[in-house]
Order: sequence, then structure tokens, then C-alpha cells
Amino acid sequence: MKKENDLECTTEIYNYYGAKPEGGFLSREEKKSATPRVEKARQMYFDTKSSASVEFPYWYTRRWEELEGEVQIIRRAEALKSGFEHLTPAILPGELLAMRKANYLRGSYPMPWMSEGFFLSKEDDLFKEVQNAGKASADEVTTMGQGGGNVTKSVGSVISIAGKFGLRKEEMPILIKVAKKWFNKSVDDIGHKYEQLVPGYGTKEEIMRAVICMFDSGYTLPQGREVMNYYYPLQFGIEGIKDICKEKQASVAGVPGMDRLYFYKSVHTMLEGLQAWILNYAKEAKFMASLEENAKQKDEYLEIAERLEWLSKNRPRTFHDALQLLWIFHVAVLNEDPISGLSPGRVGQVLYPFWKQDMDKGVLTEEKTIELLECMRMKFTELDCFASMGVVGGVLSGNTFNNLCVGGLDKDGNSAANELEMLILESAMSCDVPQPTLSLLYDEKLPEEFLIKGVECTKIGTGYPAWVNNRVAMEFLLNNFKKEGMALEEARAWAIGGCLETSPGSWMPLEVNGETYYIPGGSAPATSVGVHFISLPKVLEAVLYDGLDKRTGRRVYPAHGSKLESYNDIWNVFKHYFSITVEVLTLTNNIQHDIWGKISPSIINSMLKPDCLEVGKDISNKGCRYNRTFNVEICGGVNLVNSLASIKKNVFEEKNFSLAELKAAIDANFGYLSALETGSYSLIEQVKTANYTDWLKIHKQCLDAPKYGNDDKYVDDLFKEWQIWFSKMCENYISLYNEPMYSCQISVSTHAPMGAVTLATADGRLCGTTFADGSVSAYPGSDKNGPYALFNSATCYDHSLSQNSQLNMKIHPSVVKGREGSRKFLEMIKAYLRKGAFHAQFNVVDSRMLKDAQKNPENYRGLMVRVAGFTQYWVELGKQIQDEVIARTEYEQIG
Amino acid sequence: MNTDVFKGICKRDKNIINADDESCNHFENAQKCKHCSNFKSTQADLGMCMNKYDAYPEMLAVTCNDYKPR
Repeated sequence: MKKENDLECTTEIYNYYGAKPEGGFLSREEKKSATPRVEKARQMYFDTKSSASVEFPYWYTRRWEELEGEVQIIRRAEALKSGFEHLTPAILPGELLAMRKANYLRGSYPMPWMSEGFFLSKEDDLFKEVQNAGKASADEVTTMGQGGGNVTKSVGSVISIAGKFGLRKEEMPILIKVAKKWFNKSVDDIGHKYEQLVPGYGTKEEIMRAVICMFDSGYTLPQGREVMNYYYPLQFGIEGIKDICKEKQASVAGVPGMDRLYFYKSVHTMLEGLQAWILNYAKEAKFMASLEENAKQKDEYLEIAERLEWLSKNRPRTFHDALQLLWIFHVAVLNEDPISGLSPGRVGQVLYPFWKQDMDKGVLTEEKTIELLECMRMKFTELDCFASMGVVGGVLSGNTFNNLCVGGLDKDGNSAANELEMLILESAMSCDVPQPTLSLLYDEKLPEEFLIKGVECTKIGTGYPAWVNNRVAMEFLLNNFKKEGMALEEARAWAIGGCLETSPGSWMPLEVNGETYYIPGGSAPATSVGVHFISLPKVLEAVLYDGLDKRTGRRVYPAHGSKLESYNDIWNVFKHYFSITVEVLTLTNNIQHDIWGKISPSIINSMLKPDCLEVGKDISNKGCRYNRTFNVEICGGVNLVNSLASIKKNVFEEKNFSLAELKAAIDANFGYLSALETGSYSLIEQVKTANYTDWLKIHKQCLDAPKYGNDDKYVDDLFKEWQIWFSKMCENYISLYNEPMYSCQISVSTHAPMGAVTLATADGRLCGTTFADGSVSAYPGSDKNGPYALFNSATCYDHSLSQNSQLNMKIHPSVVKGREGSRKFLEMIKAYLRKGAFHAQFNVVDSRMLKDAQKNPENYRGLMVRVAGFTQYWVELGKQIQDEVIARTEYEQIG
Repeated sequence: MNTDVFKGICKRDKNIINADDESCNHFENAQKCKHCSNFKSTQADLGMCMNKYDAYPEMLAVTCNDYKPR
């Protein structure tokens, strides 16, 4: 072993990647409190665990089995109807907006018609848990603080499913029984049968096993990452839509193209189910009123009952009605599939006509509006998504990504920001809960007062709004949807679907009091399905190891046989392996989505999305106005480019070490324990082995290689080359809807699990540690030249080539303090977006506070941080992501 | 009224009650399959509804049109 004194370099990697946060911390700026009603609801939420039930899948399956032989979409509609009409209503005291996904506050349920495999493969384990179940003591229950609302372990009569959802033990046997009924019939099972017919399927299996791709698309989250459209219910009411269905049915019955008939019939059936569901809640509200002694609360229950009875048939009369109806349809869509990223869109513009009407009449005040909006925030925050386990934990971090957008332009190209959106921002500050997260569609035409309000919201540490460039998004949309008829006017109707997916919209004519308002809403299916999250550093690892997954020793790709004698050799093999990956995943996921459309088509969401109702086609039959919505998602782009820069410089230009020596160093993890051994996932918390000095020189040279984020042309040119090639190559692959695909660059939470299975990388990152987040965020601690250098690196390519780009920054609270701080902060954001950037989001937080929160989670139940496209409670994040957020570069100057 | 798998709220006095706690004097049976005459138990936590559908005793039947109290 070499002695440290013999080395002309430091032995602490901390010196390369920032200092460990120590000492006391500075809190975020003080904020206003929520209204007392909502503060109470928030406390109740904090005390509530994620809970699963079997009610909906039970009734869905029971009805489904009864209708064997029926037309598939009708069978599906009847099954959904049965699920809805049997949901047990639950209205909590103080609620002004009623109705929820299931009967629990954070209720959700498995959907075995999509995938049942988990329950069958875990059947024995789950039954063992049931046998071991006993009566829980109060103490046991209260020890569940760690993990926030997650049921992290089985306690008493509650079985923990995947450390997230609690299920009563008495529901487990029926869940297994219901799941078994879907064996070989679920979208997952049938899709799997047919995707095996794709040439190269074996490679796909190995890609998934190596975690080069994070998860399949068609049976996991087949919908979502899209923008809701509430136009039809708001304009016509439920009975009005049923009338449209009846008229359309009559016009197409017996006419060729009969699928239209079945579609209209299925929508009609499903709406009957929704009506029964709404009326069950109205009945429950009356029952609650009958028990209530407090006169005010009694009146509120009766008002809920009256409102729901009205809305079960009619279009809304007031802002409160409209908000309630919006919520009903939002939940209704969420109940038809496992869905993440179902964004309500530009709610402030959609509901403005009703709000203005009520304000003009004097029947609504700003204070009451804020209270209602805070209630809406609590409703969105209580949403949970019961998807497959790897998806919920490894991708979503328990989040559901309901993105509400403010700002942007109206149909005529003027600022669309309005007074209601100011109140939406205000309520998001007073009721700082994770959902809905906000995105501000930045345009130079937006008023300064509105932008300052946005900054004030961002800087109190909510992580929202994210700042998104309206013009870049419109350019992307016009490039990609022109063929389907998108013009400039309609490009303005866009919004963010999910965490950061640019989604096409349209303007629909809502009539209120004789005036026509063109309201924006989503007009496309899920905009982030197709190829989910390819780990770029892992593909590069396969290049270095001749197509093997070095961690498992399994062959993933055909051996390339190249001696990799030049940088171009490496780059070319990388492109080859990446292309193989995209090709096989596109084909297999196309099959999965085709099966989804055949077995489990969307009915509720289809009905809402223009122009499905008009043309009589559901989403999977291209009923939407815009259908070019499949994409290719990647993760770890900055680690890829930093690694390429290191190899290019160290191996081929300066010849500091050979490729064989680099691989030996990677094999040895540069002389450190792996993150999986230490349990720490950022570079600043790693543990050396006894022989680390053997690798210190080469590690230092890797760390010293040019790093993205410093306005360094050497590495930025590589970044640009990658970006241009990636965006272009996606167009070579054709989606199920027969359209070219496009690139999508978000990491969500995948940078943690994908980092966990990846060896050390040539940029000096150690084995198992989390990748850089987002797509244009610097690797934590490696951006040393200040924010403007980072901005220059990030905008070295055209962001409109891709559906998005994602930049996370961490700002110390002292930098943005006061009115002056707000102005400085806004100027910095503007400077970045004016350079052509698509997106930036911020954590305004002192890292030492996060360290303290990691040690003492019980003191931080309400602490929120921005991860990558979403805000989440700190205590509900996995340690891999927590470590990564702590390690991010903290800017103490932005001027 | 359940709020999560561990506990609920008393609809009358709004107090929190753990699921495994003893009930109070005002306690009324929830409308569940196990209290329905159409339900027959077959094994622990499982049974049949109207002799043709799988069912389970603890399922809430508040919204079931075929519910007949024993």
C-alpha cells in the first residue's frame, strides 16, 4: 500500500465535492398559516397512514366475471361502474370538498386487472404476516413516525405492503383470491405473452434485470403524465354528457365503424356509476348531518349533500360547485388505472369564469376562495397511487405528481395570469403541502407582480412553483404536433403533465352567464409512456465490459468485440448499445400498451379528452386530438457526459492511465467501500478501504477531469453532441400510435436505484451512489463556478429538441431573504430562462437543517424538499434520495 | 368511520379510536358482510355471498343493494 505522504494530492474526496454541512442552520423564511379548518385537516393528514383496501377491486372483479363474453369495453365500463357504486363514502368533519379515492383518507387499492403478479409471488410471505398478526398496542402504532405516512412494517392487524401501504390482515385472503382471478388475464400477463414474440426479447429481459431500464410502461402506469380536461362536465354536467352519448349512439348504431357505438355506450354506463358514487356521498353527508349537534357543521354537511345531488346531474352553478366537480372527475380518472402525474393543468384559468361570476355577484370573497383552494390542496395531497412496488418506491417516491400550472398565454397570445391564480399562489404558500405541485409557465408577457408572487412562493421552501419556459415548450409542441394540425394558437393551450412533461392542450368554449370563455385543457393521452428511464452510466458500463453487467456477470448486449482504442470507438459502441435498448423497449412496450387498450381501455379519461367524445374513439384508438405522445426517458446523463470527458482526456489525450487501468480502478471502487455497504449514497459520506491509496492518483485524475456545469467548453461540447444525437435518434422509433417518438429528460427518483446498481464511473463517482438528478443539474458539488456558469453549460444545446430539461438548484435561505432577495432571485431565474432554458426548480434550504432532519425525523414531519420534478415530505423519501438532496451544491451567492 | 388501517373517528364525538380498542356504549355495528344473511362463512376471513360470489366477512356493505341484516 502506498503511503499518503508519498502522494502529491489530497486524500479527502470532500475537497472535490464540497464540504460536509456542519454547525447550526438558518431556517427558511416565515410563512403565513393555513386557515384553522385546513390546519386541522393537515394535522389529521400527518397522523394518517397510507392505507389500501380491497373494496373497489372486489366489486370490479365480481362484475367483470359476470360479463364474460360481453364486448370488452362494455365489460370494462360495467366493472368500473360496479366499483364506483360500491365505494364506501367517507366525509371527514370540516371538509368543504367531499369524495375521495377509497374510504380511507390516504386510501388507494391494488388494480389486479393491470398486474396481479406481485400478490401471487408474495402470497406465502403475506400469509405468514397474517398469521403473525396480533393486536397492536398503542405504543406499537405510535412508533411508526419514521417514514411519515408510510406503513413501513407490519404492526398488529395491519400488513405492510412494500413498506408503503397498510392493509388490514382480514382483507389479505380475499385480495389473494381476487388476484388469482386475474392470473393470465391481466394486462401484465397477456402483454408479457405477446411481447416475447419481439425479436431480441431476451435482450430486453437482460436489460430489465440489469436495471438499465427501470420499469415497463403498459401495465405499470399506463395513463398519467398528462393534463386533465374538465370542459365537458363544466359545460354540460353529467346528464348533459349522457344526452350527448345517447344522441351519438343513435347516430352510429348499425353504421360501419361500430366501435363508436360501444364506446358511447360504455361512457354512458360509466357515468351511471359515477352518479351512484356521488349520490352515495350525498346520502352519507345527510347521515352525518343527522348525527351532528354543532349547527355550523350540520349546515356544512347539508350543503355538501345538496351540492352533490345537484352535481350528480347538472353543470355547476358556482365556483364552489365547479371546484367540487373538477375534483370528482379528477378522482374518477385516478380510479380507473394506476396513474401518476395526472395534472389538473391550468385550474385558475379553467375555473376563472365561475370565480369571476361569484365575485361580481358578491357571493364569494378572496378569503373564502383561499379557504376553498387550501381544501383543494389537502384533497390532492391525500392522493396515493397503488402501482407496482418498484414504481411507487423507486420512481415516484410515493408522490403522485398532480401539477397545477399558472401563467402562460391565453388563446390570443396575451398573458393568461389572473386574480384567481394569484390566490392559488397565496394558498400554496399558506397551505404548503406537496400537492398539487405548481409550475409557473414563464413568459415575458406575464406581469411583474405575478412573477414576484411566484418567487415569494418558491423561496419559502415549498419547492414550487417550478419555473418553466412557455416559449420553449410551444416550440417543442409545434415541432412535434404540426403534422396533427397544431397551430400557434393551440400551442398556447399547453401545460405540464406530471412532474415536467410538456403536454399539448386545446381551447374549449365554456359558456357562463351568456359569455364564452376559451378554457385550456389537455388534449392528448399520457405523454410519458413508451421507454421508461434508460440508465446512461449503466449503458456506458456495458460498453467498457464488452456487453456484460459486471455486477451480476450476466450478458446484456452482444459482445461488441471492439478493442476500444479511441474515444470514438467508445462513443460509437455506446450509441450502438443505446440504440439496441431503445429499439427493443419500444417494440415490447408498444405491445403492452396495445394489450392495455384492448383489455382495459380508458373510458373516463377518454370521455374528457377532446376529441374522443366527438369522434367516438377512446384514447387507445387515437381518439385524442394529439397522439404523438410516446417518448424515451433517460437518467444519469450528466454522469455519462462527465465520464466520457474523463475517458477522453485521461485515457486517450493525456494518457494518464490506460482503459485497463481505469477498469481495474472501477472494479476496486477506487479503494472505497460501496454505498450499499456504507448505507450512504452521496460522494461526501464514503468509507475508504485499507488499500485506497493504491487508487488515489487515478481517482483524483477522474475527479479532476472536466465536469459539466462549469461553463467548460470541453465537456459542454460532449454534452451538446449527446443531446443532439439523442433527440434525433428517438425519431427513428415508431410508437403504437404510428408516430415517431421524442426524447424526455427527467430523472424523477430513478437516479437513486439506478445509481445503486451501477459500478463506480469514470468521472470519479463511487459504486452504488446516486447519480446527478434531473437532466441539466450538475453532479452534486462539481459545479464550482457559480450559477451563471451552470446556466451556460445547461443551455449549450437547444432545449426545444426535447420534451423537457430539468435543472435543480439548492439556494441558501440567506441569499434570497426579504424583498431585495426576491428581486435578485427573480432576475436570476429570468436570466436562465432567457438563455433558452426550459426549466429550473429550487430548494431554498440550509443543508444542515436537512442533516438534522435525517437524524431527528420526528421533529420534521412537515418539512418538504424538491426532488426532481416534485415536492415531497422529507420523512417520506428514501435515504438514497435524502443523501443526494443534502449533497447538492448549495449556492450562497446568486448575484 | 375509518381514517386509515389503524384507526378511525367516532362520527358522533369526533374522537380518534384505534381499530383494536374496546368499543363505547354508543357503538353500532357497521353494515358488513358478516352481519348480512346472504353471507356464509367458509373459512377464516373468507365466505360466500348468495352462494355464488366469493366474499369476506369484514367487507363494508354500506352500498350493497343486496344487504339483508341477520
